[in-house]
Amino acid sequence: MNIANPILIRTKSFFAEIGDMAFFAARFFREAFTSPFEFKELLRQCYNMGNRSFFLVGVTGFILGLVFTLQSRPTLMQFGAQSWMPSMVSISIVREIGPVIIALICAGRIGSGIGAELGSMRVTEQIDAMEVSGTNPFKYLVVTRIAATTLMLPLLIIMGDAVALFGSAIVENLKGEVSYMLYFNQVFNALSFSDIIPATIKSFFFGFAIGLVGCYKGYNCSTGTVGVGEASNAAVVYTSMLLFVIDFIAVFVTDIFIEV
Amino acid sequence: MGKTTSQKVRVGVFVVVGTILLVAALYFIGNQQHLFSKNIELYATFGNVNGLTLGNNVRYSGINVGTVSKIEMIEEGTITVQMKVEAKTSRFIKKDAIASIGSDGLVGSMVVNIIPGKAQNTQPVIAGDTIQSFSKIGADDMLSTLNTTNENAALLTADLLKITNKILEGKGTLGALVTDTLLAQDLRQTVVELKKTTAGTSATILQINKIISKVNYDESAAAVLLSDTVAANQIKSVFAKLEKSSDDINEITKNMDDYIIEIKSGNGTLNYITQNAVLVKNIDSTMINIKEAAEKLNENMEALKHNFLFRGYFRKLERQEKKEGKEN
Repeated sequence: MNIANPILIRTKSFFAEIGDMAFFAARFFREAFTSPFEFKELLRQCYNMGNRSFFLVGVTGFILGLVFTLQSRPTLMQFGAQSWMPSMVSISIVREIGPVIIALICAGRIGSGIGAELGSMRVTEQIDAMEVSGTNPFKYLVVTRIAATTLMLPLLIIMGDAVALFGSAIVENLKGEVSYMLYFNQVFNALSFSDIIPATIKSFFFGFAIGLVGCYKGYNCSTGTVGVGEASNAAVVYTSMLLFVIDFIAVFVTDIFIEV
Repeated sequence: MGKTTSQKVRVGVFVVVGTILLVAALYFIGNQQHLFSKNIELYATFGNVNGLTLGNNVRYSGINVGTVSKIEMIEEGTITVQMKVEAKTSRFIKKDAIASIGSDGLVGSMVVNIIPGKAQNTQPVIAGDTIQSFSKIGADDMLSTLNTTNENAALLTADLLKITNKILEGKGTLGALVTDTLLAQDLRQTVVELKKTTAGTSATILQINKIISKVNYDESAAAVLLSDTVAANQIKSVFAKLEKSSDDINEITKNMDDYIIEIKSGNGTLNYITQNAVLVKNIDSTMINIKEAAEKLNENMEALKHNFLFRGYFRKLERQEKKEGKEN
């Protein structure tokens, strides 16, 4: 009984947290579609999360495409299949590697930022002050951030994929003497709507998960400065896990509905 | 306010760039699948589509002109493949074109290849036409053929094994060749002799070559004999004449023989001259008498020179001779 107790408590708290997060998400949807709308704050968050993350995403994507091509090239050359490089790289990056890696990068940058920002606001009782002053802190702080990540992440992923493919094209051009025109022609020949549309839909969910977990952890931060660190850390860890879960579900659903 | 406007612009640019990238990607992908061009539908019927799926490329003379839009089995062993082909290229596809299903490379996906027909002045296809099809040999058929080949190869190797065993046991001619040491020695000796013969032949050929190389092809008789066709004809004609002459000589000799026999056996003058001994003696004595008479005539002539009546004449002759000698 004594041994079972902590496990039970942990299990209960785990499910309680999931349930709490579900209510948090439900509240987001309720608040998101009711006026007043905080467009200025949404714009500011979009700028912070979209524009200011682009450099990080661009550099990561470029190196990703470059390294992926450099590493795959010798193996493909053993089979004499280096001409398949554009097809292989484009499908891998657009379908899976691009969205997941860029989402993880954004989870690190945006998720932890949201967690730390909202956590410090909670600790310093700024959120309570907003409630007292009559401003809806959920609408102003949470809805705008989750909406911004949901809208910006697909754009970041598309741009990241494009930069990654460009990096791969550079390697192919320098090492394989493949022209950029031929490379991108083969890329678009290999890709189909069943590759790009599920990946784009998936990236909306990734953005939503990053915003939701970051906001939830920051908004419900425990008191004290330690709580801020914990909220920031938990936001990244939970978001990363959740991204893989969403990715698995997305691939599973895509596999059922789209015959490849 | 200024900051907000700047943020608006930056976010706007960001959204527009991202959206353009997405739309461009979708457009290029759609363009590759001929979604944005005007298409016509063509049909072809196959017995086996070998894993052809929707969206596979349709090629005409190696150019991607469309995609497979529908695959339907209408009855057992008959599959109709609907293809969406670009209207602008369909005017080059004639009604006698032949569709076949092939593979795009060794490990690539399947494609429908439309091959132009051989007939001239054929009408181009129109929407809804069914073109002829040709089923290539599939991977299963190839494997089946390979299986038969393997079985044959197994039988062949079994027979070969028997043959090699017999050879190793020394049976038959090949076995004797492989195992008989005496035969091997004989063969070796034969080879040694052959080598010598070959060396001798080589030396002879070398000498012949030297002789031939020494021949002056421009002037020598040998060269003329070897190379000049005119000379050859002349020689041929000379030989022909020689043959004729020898025939004539032969005839003459024969006639002469006849004459001689006749002379020997006959009673003519020649026979008398050659055969009568008395005549010979008479002629001999006559000749002696003539000789004596000639000596005496010489003496008379000398006496005549010294006679005064004729001395003037002879001196005149001497002077005339001297004069002619000086003039020359």
